[in-house]
Amino acid sequence: MPVKNKLLKSTMGDKVFYALNYIFLGLMTLIILYPIYFIIIAAISDPDAVLAGEVVLYPVRVTLSGFQKILERADVWRGYLNTIIYTVLTVVLSLIVTIPAGWALSRKTLLGKKFFMIYFIIPMFFGGGLIPFYNVMNSLHLVNNMWSVILPSILSVWNLFMTRTFFESSIPEGLVEAARIDGAGEWRIFTNLVIPLSKAILAVMALYYAVGQWNSYFNAMIFLQDENLYPLQLVLKEILIASESTTGGSGETILEQYRLANQIKYVSVIVSSAPVICLYPFVQKYFAQGVMIGSLKG
Amino acid sequence: MSEVLLKGLKKVYDGGVTAVHDVNLAIQDKEFIVLVGPSGCGKSTTLRMVAGLEEISEGELYIDGKLCNNVEPKDRDIAMVFQSYALYPHMTVYDNMAFALKLKKVPKAEIDKKVREVAQILDITQYLDRKPKALSGGQRQRVAIGRAMVRDPKVFLMDEPLSNLDAKLRNQMRAEIIKLRQRINTTFMYVTHDQTEAMTLGDRIVIMKDGFVNQIGTPAEVFGKPVNLFVAGFIGMPVMNFFDNCKLLYENDTYYAEIRGAKFKLDDFQQKALKQNHQPACDIVCGIRPQHISVGSGDLVATIEVNEMMGSEVHLHARSDEDEVVMVIPTVDLKVDVSAGAKVNFATQPKLIQLFDKETGNNLIWYDKESADACAPVCKTYDFQ
Amino acid sequence: MARQNSASAAVAVPKNGNTVGGGKWRRLRKSCPWLLMLLPAVLVVFLFNYLPIYGVLIAFQDFMPGDQIIGPYTRWVGFDNFIRFFTDVQFWPLMKNTFLLCILGFIIGFPLPIIIALSLNALKGKRTAKVIQTIFTAPHFISLVVMVGMLTLFFGRYGLVNNIIAGIGGDRVSYFLEEGAFRPMYILSSNWQDFGWSAIIYIAALSNVDPGLHEAAILDGASRFQRVIHVDLPAIMPMVSVMLIMSIGGLMGVGYEKALLMQTDGNLGVSELIATYVYKQGLTGVPDQAYATAIGLFNSVINVVLLIIANTTSKKFSENSLF
Repeated sequence: MPVKNKLLKSTMGDKVFYALNYIFLGLMTLIILYPIYFIIIAAISDPDAVLAGEVVLYPVRVTLSGFQKILERADVWRGYLNTIIYTVLTVVLSLIVTIPAGWALSRKTLLGKKFFMIYFIIPMFFGGGLIPFYNVMNSLHLVNNMWSVILPSILSVWNLFMTRTFFESSIPEGLVEAARIDGAGEWRIFTNLVIPLSKAILAVMALYYAVGQWNSYFNAMIFLQDENLYPLQLVLKEILIASESTTGGSGETILEQYRLANQIKYVSVIVSSAPVICLYPFVQKYFAQGVMIGSLKG
Repeated sequence: MSEVLLKGLKKVYDGGVTAVHDVNLAIQDKEFIVLVGPSGCGKSTTLRMVAGLEEISEGELYIDGKLCNNVEPKDRDIAMVFQSYALYPHMTVYDNMAFALKLKKVPKAEIDKKVREVAQILDITQYLDRKPKALSGGQRQRVAIGRAMVRDPKVFLMDEPLSNLDAKLRNQMRAEIIKLRQRINTTFMYVTHDQTEAMTLGDRIVIMKDGFVNQIGTPAEVFGKPVNLFVAGFIGMPVMNFFDNCKLLYENDTYYAEIRGAKFKLDDFQQKALKQNHQPACDIVCGIRPQHISVGSGDLVATIEVNEMMGSEVHLHARSDEDEVVMVIPTVDLKVDVSAGAKVNFATQPKLIQLFDKETGNNLIWYDKESADACAPVCKTYDFQ
Repeated sequence: MARQNSASAAVAVPKNGNTVGGGKWRRLRKSCPWLLMLLPAVLVVFLFNYLPIYGVLIAFQDFMPGDQIIGPYTRWVGFDNFIRFFTDVQFWPLMKNTFLLCILGFIIGFPLPIIIALSLNALKGKRTAKVIQTIFTAPHFISLVVMVGMLTLFFGRYGLVNNIIAGIGGDRVSYFLEEGAFRPMYILSSNWQDFGWSAIIYIAALSNVDPGLHEAAILDGASRFQRVIHVDLPAIMPMVSVMLIMSIGGLMGVGYEKALLMQTDGNLGVSELIATYVYKQGLTGVPDQAYATAIGLFNSVINVVLLIIANTTSKKFSENSLF
């Protein structure tokens, strides 16, 4: 009897625990989802209703006028195009730079391996800072040039080490040795053996670099002056944020401005984040994989 | 013709650890050499030096009379079967086998002919289009061997090829390797930690420990004439019984071995060898194989602790003073009570007693003759440079 | 050991150069393809990481844009720029703003992912856990610009919160112009974006916990909560300490890009960080590059020092360390 009682008690305790856990996670899910949901319903509601605080749980007087307005904005679409170009170029170049380097660093008999490791580790913890970086870009004649956004982003040392860790842990040394005995040189080993076996890391790296470039604005802000070169994020910055800081006076004109601007804001958030967010569930396992590769201490 | 000559091969790793000290070995054409020893003894490293996967720190390696120290693996005309099989996972079985030939730019038709021929021999023709993942362990093993075979190598290197298989498959594959060897008839170098594999496959066996070669010899030699305590203990199942605190006595021009007070007059060949060495009387360790013990009579006494009935024979674990003694007695010869707790007398034939120097562990009879000069005569014929 | 005596005799034989010789050259030749593979990465890092490190020299100079870093007209001024910063009226506010933002962010942002990971791991339905995890990770991919944009949409003068307040008859307050609202907005939005992402690493570590350990604990009579404390938590402790070192090391490197986006005239008193100040001094208005570089260098040095302290401390108390 006492044994049974004890069992019963512990399951009661567990039940409470599970219930609390569900409530906690449910709340967190709500906190994550509601803002995203609100952006969506606000984007398709009548701007007056949004401004009046009527839109909270469901769209009011559904309208697609916001999307219509954004279609008319040439700067947004130019930014979109620029971002796509920058992202594609970044991904292609970064893979060319990162993957072979990661492979080379994973080789035990690489001459000067220690030196190269230190060479790559130092920038992880110490940098020259913003101004010297700007000056270097300036003397390389990269300012106000689309390459100023691309070139500094084609190598992240974190990603390089992640790639190296992947190679060390998932390409068995025996395979490389077998290929060497079969007569393959180092280049052929890389192209015919390593690359076909590294789809996971290729995907992870491509995604990391792509998202990084898609979302970045700072380099573009400091290096690009020509508006025709602006990536999407910089255009968005103008649309989304610039107006808040200029809220000097108050009054009806500003209210009117807000009424129009806000709708565009909601819509532009959706339009700019849609590609990444839509793609995300499908590639999520690769991202997670990337974090796990990174967690294997290198 | 594809002899392999290892002359003073030494491997020192960057950290200063010496994995292989000084291997001298002359492998004759079409010979099947097995390197055996406990893990970390340097056998794999030696093989990998022959393959060219490990740089040779010191010494010389000749394949077919050609100095190969600085020759790339692919130009050594060798093939290797790895413990992990190392099959290319993204290629089909066919492509796995054809890869080396493709790299050599062999014409396509020829590759096809060769691959199919080998697949036929190994009975893997029906799997040629599959990826390695879809194969069982035994099948992968065959593919790995096939990949090596298509190259018609001068030397066939195998690094513990059977250790990833379960016991039953291992026996089966072992038999297949023997058959294979009769077919392709080339020089084999085979690394294993399993003495059964070593004994059944090898023409000669190289027994290594801590980076040193302890003995090179035919299976019969390493079993019957172990040069030291290590070899004696390593080869043979169950392990040889060692009796500590024994004495080699020399009385009236005759040598005796004294075990626990029992005196054994040694056999003629032992007398001769000891006399030749002018061996003085000394402390020794005596080794007697479990199979060489008979019970029921004799001056030695032991108490049975465990009795394992194996069918055709009985394994007895007994205690004689401070020594554990294992005896393997054919069931038909059993005439006394050997149940646990029983006291039995046991004996052996003096000619089957191995005598080891207590200090050095070397076999008083077999050490010098067999080990030190094992490869020396062959080495001399190679001294042409 | 038995062969040792004969071995020593044989060792003397192979001493003719061609066998052992050329080790270094041979290694170089063998490494050649790998070195070529490394070359682009080495170049990129050299250009964009090492050249700027060389460029910090201007922190010790009286430097005007366009000057050579080391040339005939270089005017070295020693630590003048640093002294100027330490005596700047902005110095203490900047230090305070940076440290406070970092430490508050760390206090909330560090434990939250661990709690989330433990909580997700304790869910019965693995499917549900997967779905929730996917949802939690999604905001990580929202860009900073959009994130700050969303903040204005929610907390701006005409954002959701104010709309509701106005709807029930209250007064509109622009939280972007309020000093007191900056840190909560900054920290909570950062956590909203990243707690799911940061939890992945712990979730991965938790999935490697031997189920046998849990079964043993159940047989010992541990409740689910006790198992979280005594089985799950110890399992991720090594990871926790590594992450701790890293986040302490990166403490001063907080997302100034985001702070810059959130800055308004109204909240500048708390939102101006060392790094944003560097940006403004060095690249906007009348740039004072040497001064800005000195401030930036000061910031990086603090970072390195923090990292080393964190690492050695961790090394002392556990075997976990970065290097």
